[in-house]
Amino acid sequence: MSTAVPEYVVALLRESLPAWGLAGVVCRSADGGLEVRAATVHLRITRAPAGLPFRWLVGLGGRERAVSGVPGLLRTVRASIDPSYRPIAVRIAALPLAP
Amino acid sequence: MIPIWVLTGFLGSGKTTLLGRLLKSPGFSRTAVIINEFGEIGLDHDLIETSDESFVALQTGCLCCAVRDDLVLTLEDLLRRRAAGLVPPFERVVIETSGLADPAPILHALMMGPAFAGQLVVAGVVTTVDAVNGWRTLDRHPEAIKQVAVADRLLLTKTDLLEVPATVLAARLAALNPAAQLLSATFGAVEANRLFDLACGAEAPAELARWLAASAPGEARQTGHVHDAEIACVAIVRETPMRAVGLTLLLEVLAEHCGGDLLRLKGLINIAECPQRPAVIHGVQHVFHPPAWLARWPSQDRRSRLVLIGRNLRQAWIEALLRALEMEVAEVQGAAGKLAATGED
Repeated sequence: MSTAVPEYVVALLRESLPAWGLAGVVCRSADGGLEVRAATVHLRITRAPAGLPFRWLVGLGGRERAVSGVPGLLRTVRASIDPSYRPIAVRIAALPLAP
Repeated sequence: MIPIWVLTGFLGSGKTTLLGRLLKSPGFSRTAVIINEFGEIGLDHDLIETSDESFVALQTGCLCCAVRDDLVLTLEDLLRRRAAGLVPPFERVVIETSGLADPAPILHALMMGPAFAGQLVVAGVVTTVDAVNGWRTLDRHPEAIKQVAVADRLLLTKTDLLEVPATVLAARLAALNPAAQLLSATFGAVEANRLFDLACGAEAPAELARWLAASAPGEARQTGHVHDAEIACVAIVRETPMRAVGLTLLLEVLAEHCGGDLLRLKGLINIAECPQRPAVIHGVQHVFHPPAWLARWPSQDRRSRLVLIGRNLRQAWIEALLRALEMEVAEVQGAAGKLAATGED
């Protein structure tokens, strides 16, 4: 599996900062990872190695946090760069597959 | 005289659910319903099934802003068609406003419609109030306060979602409009004639006159009435069916990141796992109803359509979010499929 962060994640994060009312920059690093710089925060996002039950790793200040998917990635990124963010503890029940 | 009832209520307060129930009930027969939708893609008319003797006409745009004249023309046209036998001989008209509409100028237009004299009469206003989100909505949206204040009847909806009775909200509603009768309904279950009498309504309450005075046409021109500039309507259309888990994740992210700013969400969704029947989803702020499945597609259009109304919503973000979720779900399911094919788990 490629270690590069796919383009759909890059596009989403680039749209997320203005959607959250935040200034910042989202750009690729040389190894295909992703850098998010907002205010004084510098995040590094990479794809989790194969074999782990996670898809993404979010690095901040020498620590790395693993998240299992796009919803967790957005939650982690926003919580890191938006001090006013208060996520609503809501989980939607899975949609039934048939009537 | 044919009574006209105005059905108003803030976004997501249950107007369409109420009409959907009533239109199937015998007590609501011979009713002409005019639905006003605010948004690029109209959905409400697709979510309502009618009986043989009732019918629905559709308007788009916001009644209280630009299409008041259109409403008058629509009603005049209905009367002509009724006289010519081109539509069922309706005995009642119900106008459902969009959730953001200020009902006062609508009532003003109805009362002043010169061609209505002797044929139509404004019977009253029914305002639906969401028992779960109603308090917060009143705090944040002056339109909602107006909608309550002009009501003849207030219908408290979604009471089944409450853990304790909405006595505090009921007291606030009574303080805002002591003249209104307060009723409650669960999933739109209420007798038609309790809400929309065939007998014409009594005189408008004092609050109505006050609101009507404040919304005189001259004043509206001066202020250039517009909705809250932060409120946006976002329409998403998907050509390909959506996986159920992708839709679930989308709703979860929207609820988490938009919260109270997501005023309303409605969708008619083509679920990949069950493409023959569309799923209807409703959401208000962070509360989503369980999806309902229509018996069949209302038209040949099988695309998924999602309409969101809220503060500071960005179309590009929601599009990017949906694409990312769909891609990720496809990757995960693809990987799971490969594992299954090789006998691993």
